[in-house]
Amino acid sequence: MPAMTVSTEHRVLLAQSVADFAARGTDIARVRKLRGTAAEYDRAVWKQMADLGWLGVLVPEQYGGLGLGLAEMAIVAKGLARTLAPEPLTGAAVLAATALVASDNEALKRRELPRLAAGESLPALAWQEAPGVLDAAVPGCVATAFEGGFRLNGTKRFIAGSAQADAFIVSARAGDELVVLWVPRAAAGARLELETLADGRAFGTLELKDVLVPGTHVAAKGRTAAAAVELAFDHANAIAAAELAGVMERALEMTVDYLKTRVQFGKPIGSFQALQHRAVDLHIHQEVAGAVLGESLAALDRGPDARARAAIASRVKARCADAALKITRETIQLHGGIGFTDEYDAGLYLKRAMTLAAWLGGATWHRRRYADLTVGAKADGGAR
Amino acid sequence: MTDYNAMGDEDFRREVRGFVEREYPPPLRFILQRARWHEMKGWWTKLHARGWIAPNWPREHGGMGLDAGKMLIYMEEFERHGCARPPDQGITQVGPLILRFGTQAQKDYYLPRTLSGECIWCQGYSEPNAGSDLASLQTAAVIEGEQFVINGQKIWTSLADDATHIYLLVRTDKSAKKQQGISFLLVDMKTPGITLRPIVNLAGHGEFCQVFFDDVRVPRDALLGQMNDGWTVAKALLGFERLGIGSPRRPQYALRRLEAVARAKGLLDDPGFADRFIALKLDIEDGAALYGRFVEQVKRGEALGQDVSMLKIWTMETWQRLTELLIEAGAEQGVIAGAQDVAGVETDFLSPFYYSRPATIYGGSSEIQRNILAKYVLKLPS
Repeated sequence: MPAMTVSTEHRVLLAQSVADFAARGTDIARVRKLRGTAAEYDRAVWKQMADLGWLGVLVPEQYGGLGLGLAEMAIVAKGLARTLAPEPLTGAAVLAATALVASDNEALKRRELPRLAAGESLPALAWQEAPGVLDAAVPGCVATAFEGGFRLNGTKRFIAGSAQADAFIVSARAGDELVVLWVPRAAAGARLELETLADGRAFGTLELKDVLVPGTHVAAKGRTAAAAVELAFDHANAIAAAELAGVMERALEMTVDYLKTRVQFGKPIGSFQALQHRAVDLHIHQEVAGAVLGESLAALDRGPDARARAAIASRVKARCADAALKITRETIQLHGGIGFTDEYDAGLYLKRAMTLAAWLGGATWHRRRYADLTVGAKADGGAR
Repeated sequence: MTDYNAMGDEDFRREVRGFVEREYPPPLRFILQRARWHEMKGWWTKLHARGWIAPNWPREHGGMGLDAGKMLIYMEEFERHGCARPPDQGITQVGPLILRFGTQAQKDYYLPRTLSGECIWCQGYSEPNAGSDLASLQTAAVIEGEQFVINGQKIWTSLADDATHIYLLVRTDKSAKKQQGISFLLVDMKTPGITLRPIVNLAGHGEFCQVFFDDVRVPRDALLGQMNDGWTVAKALLGFERLGIGSPRRPQYALRRLEAVARAKGLLDDPGFADRFIALKLDIEDGAALYGRFVEQVKRGEALGQDVSMLKIWTMETWQRLTELLIEAGAEQGVIAGAQDVAGVETDFLSPFYYSRPATIYGGSSEIQRNILAKYVLKLPS
């Protein structure tokens, strides 16, 4: 047998660690307990995830991470999503981490990235401001030059993983260029409010009133800043797609098991052709989504240019969102009445699929962007 | 004889591409209906002369002996150029079965003639009362002395009127359970008692036939494989065929026409149309990712499992939806027979629609494929 490549070895270890964690480190009772709470997730569990190396998968080695690719990150995200763990892996360890990695403030990166990978500091990327508007380039938040740094005003919305975030990476307009700024949660003038999501997690709304950002906290400016947010957006969408893959996989397993064991009319209901064919269609959607996910992660890890990268990310998010929504909705139907109860877990998977699908752009939005990028079709709402 | 497997993939691809681009008759590119023998004879002869007619057969029997990876390149280049399928069931179907199950005499007689085009084969499986439930077939062969006497009828026999020979599933033991009393016969179409009735399809073409057998007498050596073991022989075919049927290149013609028409008519500016178009385009592209996964499996030398059924379902059903949107894009022109001029784009709206209809019926209907997936992949109870 040929020697395993380093990445194969990492993948095996990551898959093992996530399987162990799913078996022993979390359970559905914990998920249910954290639903709708102000805590949203558990920092002790977050620290365990850091100790397993997960939070540093995308952080280069010189900043204390593992320096691996999206394919490796997806193994963790997908495995974890199967458990419905509420910890903001994609929000912090992909979206925020990537924005920071792609910034060019070396001192800030040297200080914050190792802390992020170690689970000591949990940052959130605060870039979006209006529902369905996913263009990174023109925020309404304004950064006015002030004593070598900026004075920051505006409101950021739909911030994932913000409940216990220690800092926000905020995009803002400084004159006619974009800046990305590091804002500690405790900064004077910063106020966070939470909105509970369908799945019991939360989006944060961050109000910024005359928040002073010193020059040392300017992560990136201009083209670098815009490119950092765009990269983070695309990569987070790909990993959200991996999460959706985990959610759909577990939901379909539950459904197929139920079809095999639930007896009506004296037979397991899975023997009825009408239900068999529905289950098969769900399986096909899952397999197509899995194939696109695998192809997309490999393509993204080869480092395509921004345009190609955006198209790949949109394609995989659209496919996985649609497949996960279809599968989790039908999971309810195929379970019948029990599927509509809160005590049964099927609904938890549906709700997670719904929030993941809506976050960072839904299927229709991503297909339009894909069309813009590949067909040149005029479609509204697509980022260029 | 060239060992193509020893060639680099790109060299081999270049050679195949060069040959089809040079030699394939341009008027027959991207045709939708099944090509007839008189149209394809010249191309067949060129392929045969070059030793390229049977990529899947071993070299010692006159094939190219391609491994799975090279085989896929060969198929891809033919599909890319829009080469029509000749009446090739002898090459793709019965030839490999004769190689595997045939006697030395059967191999010596049929294999060279099948390669040269002297034997053109058609398939006699389905019957009016045995479609999806193929094993319920009733066409019977009874042994009388040194002969089989065949009575019954076959249907949906593609290009039967081009064929010189037919391979048949017949019932040889009525007392045995369904699959067990079936035998596989190789029959000359000129045998007295065989009559044909061409059947015109929805597209207006007579592609397939009903074939009647009235006291058709054939020698005992028409039997391929063991007596009453024909089901095993027939089932030995399915893997690669289903990969070919699910190829995402198949709907490409309709996709390209649709895109061309949409541009010509400015339909992509209509968000409603654009949304449907891009969703379908992605269904094709994402199906190609699924296809790629099975291709990798074949390249690794692994046998295809029952899960490959999903490829045919996805590709063919997507193809159908694509042709439906093409008709809609054509508006009134979409239902006019023959090629239409749409702002300078020559388009046949109806043919893709018609030819995608049976795609979810032949080769195991979508419903049968779903039954297979339910049983063997999801392992749902029966």
